[in-house]
Amino acid sequence: MRGKHSLFYHILIFIIAQLVWLLLLGIWIYWYVSNYIVFEKVGDQVSPQLVYDVQNALPFILGLILLIGLSFTTSLIFRHLNVQLRITELYDNFIGNVTHELKSPLASIQLYLETLKQREVPSEKRKEFIDFMMKDADRLQSLINSILEISAQEQRKLLQNYHVYNTYFLVKELIEESCEKFRVPKDSYQITGDASSEIVASKDALKIVFDNLVDNAVKYSTQQAKIVASLICNTKKVTILFTDLGIGIVANEQKKIFNKFYRIYNKAIPNVKGTGLGLYRVKEIIKAHGGKIIVSSEGENKGTTFKIEMPAYQAMSKRRLKKLLKNEKQSQV
Amino acid sequence: MTEDFKGSKILLVEDEETLAIGLEYNLIEEGYIVKWAKNGRDAIDFFEKEKFDLIILDIMLPYINGFEVAERVRKSDPQIPILMLTAKTESGNKIKGLEKGADDYMTKPFHLQELLLRVKGMLKRKSWYTSASQKQSDYKFGLIEINFKTLNCRNGDEEIRLTPQEAMLLKYLVERKGEIVTRKELLENVWHLNPEVETRTVDIFIARLRKYFEPDPSNPVYFKSIRGAGYMFEGK
Repeated sequence: MRGKHSLFYHILIFIIAQLVWLLLLGIWIYWYVSNYIVFEKVGDQVSPQLVYDVQNALPFILGLILLIGLSFTTSLIFRHLNVQLRITELYDNFIGNVTHELKSPLASIQLYLETLKQREVPSEKRKEFIDFMMKDADRLQSLINSILEISAQEQRKLLQNYHVYNTYFLVKELIEESCEKFRVPKDSYQITGDASSEIVASKDALKIVFDNLVDNAVKYSTQQAKIVASLICNTKKVTILFTDLGIGIVANEQKKIFNKFYRIYNKAIPNVKGTGLGLYRVKEIIKAHGGKIIVSSEGENKGTTFKIEMPAYQAMSKRRLKKLLKNEKQSQV
Repeated sequence: MTEDFKGSKILLVEDEETLAIGLEYNLIEEGYIVKWAKNGRDAIDFFEKEKFDLIILDIMLPYINGFEVAERVRKSDPQIPILMLTAKTESGNKIKGLEKGADDYMTKPFHLQELLLRVKGMLKRKSWYTSASQKQSDYKFGLIEINFKTLNCRNGDEEIRLTPQEAMLLKYLVERKGEIVTRKELLENVWHLNPEVETRTVDIFIARLRKYFEPDPSNPVYFKSIRGAGYMFEGK
């Protein structure tokens, strides 16, 4: 509510400033023109030196340029102010979401620790509780990592260990791991397509990519998530089509979903938890691999397809390969 | 715990699986019967089919959020105590939760012992209220008639249904008519809470009573604020 009000006031101030501005401009032109007419009428009689010539139009033209320049600057400042307001709003949402995401696993860990301290818990239950605590600790760790890795420096660290992989086996392994992590049953996902090409990739980074895609497929499906990953390879590039049968994304949201902190609200599935960082990280990781990711969806309740394109190993320049694989050589030495 | 509350049925509405399993275990160990709803839709569904003595309700829930669940529950059962349990810390959320009909609010992470004490306190208040309302069930002030037993009130032509927490606060104030009652006293005796923790809850509930009964809630004639002290009920 406060955000909306402050935006309203900013727009109001902007409109008032523009009106004042136009009024002053009008007065200035009126003043100049009326003086000019008077000057032209009486100029000859008063003093022959003050006869109008072309140079006298200079102050008027310069004044106009100045006014146009100022008007342009005001618009620029207003535009930046709007961007700033939008970033502040996104940042506030992010803080709210992150607080929630941090506190939930922490509350769970605290609950189990206090339970173990205060009660005589049978050994079997004790083991189960420890497993839950470890799961929550993992969740906290991955959340903290995702927050830290939005900084470029951390992102670079993550992208240090490049190796050459067979696309099919790498994608299969990563999707299977992610599906297991997010409890997608084996009969609810399939990986199809060409297996021949190789890619240069950081496995840790691509794990984050597929974790995010699978997690989103689960969170944004009203029923059991269904996932199909299709691989298309040629000599130049590897294409991975990651399709889910979830609630889909409306056209005007499709571009925004890769923005930092951006989150979709869908009334069919309200209150989906998250930080708004997942797909931003996915895009950055794919970009660092020299690839690109685009999203398509026919609309609400028609599923979503993420198309990831990455350069094939064979098609990469020697210089880029040398740069990416330098750590691999070092580790072999 | 008091033997009387063993077997009380609690509806636990929590979508965080690990947290819910831990809570369920502890509540069962205390002797309660627990039904776990993983989302708002299931919570409404279970509530309509079964009778519960208390609801522990998370706010951020899939499908229907906790505020809406509380609102729907309140419409059909004004008596059931609702404890909101959430990771949201903004005071706006807390006020909203209490306005939607929650009786108490705890933020995550919480201490197990405190949660169990609050649950027990709420069940105790519910049972105390049921027996207290048997003794003195009716009260009148101005054009207002209150039936503490059914929680129904009539303000002129308007029908109002109080929550047990509102009714308990009203009953406490009515019994001390003309006396200054401090927020601390109300927290200790009506909410059974540590008064050091907070006093905002009392203000929210007083605001609710004013909204129901005062001709002009901004200039109260029945529920007066005594600056620096607390509140005073003046039934005429």
